[in-house]
Amino acid sequence: MRRLFDTGCHVVAQAVKCADVDMVAAYPITPQTSVVEEIAALTESGEMNCRFLPVEGEHSAMAACVAAAAVGARAFTATSSQGLLYMHEVLHMASGCRFPLVMVNVNRAVFAPWTLWADHSDSLAQRDTGWLQLYCASLQEVFNTILQAYYIAERVRIPVMVNMDGFILSHCRMIVEMPDQQVIDKYLQHQPNGWIADPQNPSAYACVTGADLYPGFREELFNDTKNADKTIIEAAKVYHELTGMWDGDLIDTYRCDDADTFIIAIGSMAAEARISVDLLREQGIKAGLIKIRALRPFPAAAISDVLSDGARVMVLDRNYGFGTEGGIIFAELKAALFERAAQLQIANKIMGIGGADVNYQMMADAVTSAWDFRR
Amino acid sequence: MLEIRFHGYGGEGIVTLAEMLASASIKTGSQVQSLPSFGVERRGAPVKALLRISDQEIFMRSECRIPDILVVLNQKLLASAIEQGIKNNGRIILNHHQQLECLYPLTCINATKIAIDENLVVGRVPFINIPLMGAVAFEIGIPFEKLEEAICEKWAGKVGIRNAEVAYIGYETMQERRK
Repeated sequence: MRRLFDTGCHVVAQAVKCADVDMVAAYPITPQTSVVEEIAALTESGEMNCRFLPVEGEHSAMAACVAAAAVGARAFTATSSQGLLYMHEVLHMASGCRFPLVMVNVNRAVFAPWTLWADHSDSLAQRDTGWLQLYCASLQEVFNTILQAYYIAERVRIPVMVNMDGFILSHCRMIVEMPDQQVIDKYLQHQPNGWIADPQNPSAYACVTGADLYPGFREELFNDTKNADKTIIEAAKVYHELTGMWDGDLIDTYRCDDADTFIIAIGSMAAEARISVDLLREQGIKAGLIKIRALRPFPAAAISDVLSDGARVMVLDRNYGFGTEGGIIFAELKAALFERAAQLQIANKIMGIGGADVNYQMMADAVTSAWDFRR
Repeated sequence: MLEIRFHGYGGEGIVTLAEMLASASIKTGSQVQSLPSFGVERRGAPVKALLRISDQEIFMRSECRIPDILVVLNQKLLASAIEQGIKNNGRIILNHHQQLECLYPLTCINATKIAIDENLVVGRVPFINIPLMGAVAFEIGIPFEKLEEAICEKWAGKVGIRNAEVAYIGYETMQERRK
């Protein structure tokens, strides 16, 4: 194990270096900028053996990653907010072509009005692009998850978006343990590719496809995305066996065994929510925390298994589902638990929009103000 | 867990100040978290940084509302720093040339003078964060060798040695005040 004490952005760069990525194409955007700067510096100095492509925008960054993956290279990009929105069209291309790309999205709220701070509107707007989405609560988890993302992507051949909250994680400095390089190399052996474009033998891929074939490709992506849950679990398990580190698989739980009141949180809020659970327990409330790590595929069964009959469930959303009853994760969860609707009380609280501070007291208050615990 | 919030103007070096104290704390076996203010950092604008030190894993991700210690680099920011919150039994370290009256236990360290006297000035800007590193390190019980080690890792060669010497003056000054 090697020990790193650095900012979240630099931890991303180190993870990309450890993953032995062949090509990085990226465009800087706050708060992701120092990811790009650090990777540029590491490739420039020769410390990182990788081709760095400074492109003129995020649309091109994703296009370059798609092209690199097409010839079998391990590619990476990082972005945030407007940059991710600008990529949207090419995200579909990456998943449709089944390229095992990994991207870090530093979560930042979206324009308008202008803002630089964290919420999940950017990544949730890409929910239906066919990418897998993982969310991190700590810098150690960011490092571990980037490596796990390559493990997953190269097996299921679906691109993976690793999300971390802007500033709260990207600009925070904490200690990160890095496994030895030979352990990482063992974990991330290159997988045989499904198909590789060969410039010496030109051929056309993903051409105009009629209704005879197109639905089949989409159905396959749909099914494989759903079944990717097994590989996400395997990626976390094998990583744990090799490194001893564990951040959860599809979800992670805290004090859920005897709980009847649950907080469901995502991203950095899921770290501080542990303190909310402790606080609620001190007040005699049997609280537990479910941290959602994988948003796509949505871990409906994993969450349902943890929830006891009659449970109170407080879903914390760092986003708005416009035109719905609340946040996007609230809507997702209700749909996923529809068949248990009679046995569960599901409530929602939207907080932390545009970087608004979220602390353990606020999350505990969300629970105690939703239900009357005095009875 | 110990929480410290730093207040200064952009360019005065509070981020480095928090970072060095964090690095030194790691060397004592602590868990740490340092975080600059969630703002657009501009030279001359008021900026904040926070430092959390704990013997256990740190799960907090929120802003530091009521720190144990406030470190204020400029007297003009003192009132606003207190207004933003401090623990009831909190204490304050202020860079100022004379002792001031305050509702909270306040220790004034003339870090500007130390930096100027020691010629730690670049482009007419004294590096006040260096003597303050020593002062805060003493206040929170970081042995000076750990801070010196952290400083010499951050700045190689003579610069590191020089910075460590000036940090020691801050450390000693605080030690004197606490006698």
